[in-house]
Amino acid sequence: MIKRELKVNLRSFLVWTGTMLVTLLLIYLVYPSIVSDGKGNKVNEMLEAFPPELLRAFNMDLAGLDTAYGWLKSEGFTFLYLIIGIYSCLLGSNIVLKEESEKTIEYLAALPITRRKVVCDKVIVSVIYIVSMIAILGAFNMLALNLTETPDNRQLLLLSITPLFPALVLFALGLFISTFTHKTKKMLGISIGMVFAMYILSVISEMGESVKGLKYLSAFTLANSRGVITSSELKPVYPIVSLVLFAALIVVSLVRYQKKELV
Amino acid sequence: MSETILEIKNLTKYYGKVKGVENLSLSLNKGEIFGFIGPNGAGKSTTIRSVMNLINKDSGEVLFHGKELTRDDVEAKSRIGYLPSEVFLYDDLTVKGIFDHHESFYRNVKSAAGIREKRQDLVSRLKLDETRPIEDLSLGNLKKVGIVLALMHNPELIIMDEPTSGLDPIMQNVFYEILREERDRGNTVFYSTHILNEVSKVCDRVGIIRNGELIRAGQVDEISDKQLTFVTVSSDEVDALVTELGVKVLSREEDTVRFANHFPDDELIKRLSKFTIRKILIEEATLEEMFMHYYEEGQTDDKT
Repeated sequence: MIKRELKVNLRSFLVWTGTMLVTLLLIYLVYPSIVSDGKGNKVNEMLEAFPPELLRAFNMDLAGLDTAYGWLKSEGFTFLYLIIGIYSCLLGSNIVLKEESEKTIEYLAALPITRRKVVCDKVIVSVIYIVSMIAILGAFNMLALNLTETPDNRQLLLLSITPLFPALVLFALGLFISTFTHKTKKMLGISIGMVFAMYILSVISEMGESVKGLKYLSAFTLANSRGVITSSELKPVYPIVSLVLFAALIVVSLVRYQKKELV
Repeated sequence: MSETILEIKNLTKYYGKVKGVENLSLSLNKGEIFGFIGPNGAGKSTTIRSVMNLINKDSGEVLFHGKELTRDDVEAKSRIGYLPSEVFLYDDLTVKGIFDHHESFYRNVKSAAGIREKRQDLVSRLKLDETRPIEDLSLGNLKKVGIVLALMHNPELIIMDEPTSGLDPIMQNVFYEILREERDRGNTVFYSTHILNEVSKVCDRVGIIRNGELIRAGQVDEISDKQLTFVTVSSDEVDALVTELGVKVLSREEDTVRFANHFPDDELIKRLSKFTIRKILIEEATLEEMFMHYYEEGQTDDKT
């Protein structure tokens, strides 16, 4: 089951990871020319004109855009969180549901295997792919930046791990919501919409004290990239909360799937 | 007394307010082919999907060897083969790929020993090309793959929902032969169909389902032997004759009527002797007519 799921989901993993690698590669290739001849400083000066709340929302108050690493810490990770989040949420909402949507569930349900094992094997495969994607992108960033600059490798390593926390929660949330429907088509819009909504909430929550509470509604808060950049430490509370939420959502998904009518 | 393999007790399933099946009870014995017949929408697939735990029962029990068949009873599931009415398989695999995948679930199942040999035998008899991708298969070939998947692990209970749809007549005969062999080996077949002549070809017993309720079950011979005849009578007193007999007229043309008759022949003749009969034709009902009669009789009952 695991072997087959790894094979079935390999292509989409390669497409998503490959696309992100190519995007990052292109950015790293063109970045030196963007910041050459003091153009980077000009960009930083231009950014000073923006409201501090906005700069804070994208970590631009902590990292200048005059280096590629500075870009990665601000805009780069914003891009990575979003794309990895969408991939994870779509994976969660599709991996079990597609058996119903493609009507292969009648075959699968007749096999000598429990529903719990079906879900668990698919979760294991998904976690393998999410972790692999984050590891590959992290390794690529590390390699590319070390070839061109001298980044803070400890900080970069910790930052590279942070997409895992929102990704796991978004995956489990997608899986849980998918237990309420039979069609993957419905889940596409819901998954992407949910990830964007959470992302916007996390951005808005950084813009002032009055909206700070919105961060509790967003899985992206769990990345806490700001904390990692300022302290070069990974506070245990974020991985712990992520794992608890992930485990809780998987358990409720299993309970719901156990009772679900499959046709 | 033959051993009961599958027992369905008081099964009820509603889809909202729409009745799927109600209070349906039946049992299947070891080594028989049980035909489960009824028109489209009668509740055949609902019954089968409830047995397979694909849908949740509102009430009732499904017992396999006397034990409740739960959705996670892996041991019981390893001894059941299932062919759904429409076969959907993984499009990215070849026929060989899906068979290998299927085999991998039965490696440690004792009753599935010889799975490879059985697979090869079925593939050869059903003339399947294992190299072909699933996505390229015709409806008939997909059905054949489904048949192999339902049978290759040597299940003692084989549940099949409309198994011959898409099969050509030659393949249908090969399939009937395979089913008879399964029965002779002591395996039990739950054969759902709406094609009436299949029942007389392969089934030992039959259950007739209509509007979610089992209206009759018994040996195929027993049902066929029931004294149902179709009578065509021409008489000037045709209206009085129909009233006297209290039968439902199937067709009428001037003073000639055709009706289904449940009276024994001597009783019928005794009753008809009160009238002047110009012409009479008594025909024995075929099995197909018998089933049609039950359906139509039921539909009339429902309307009243």
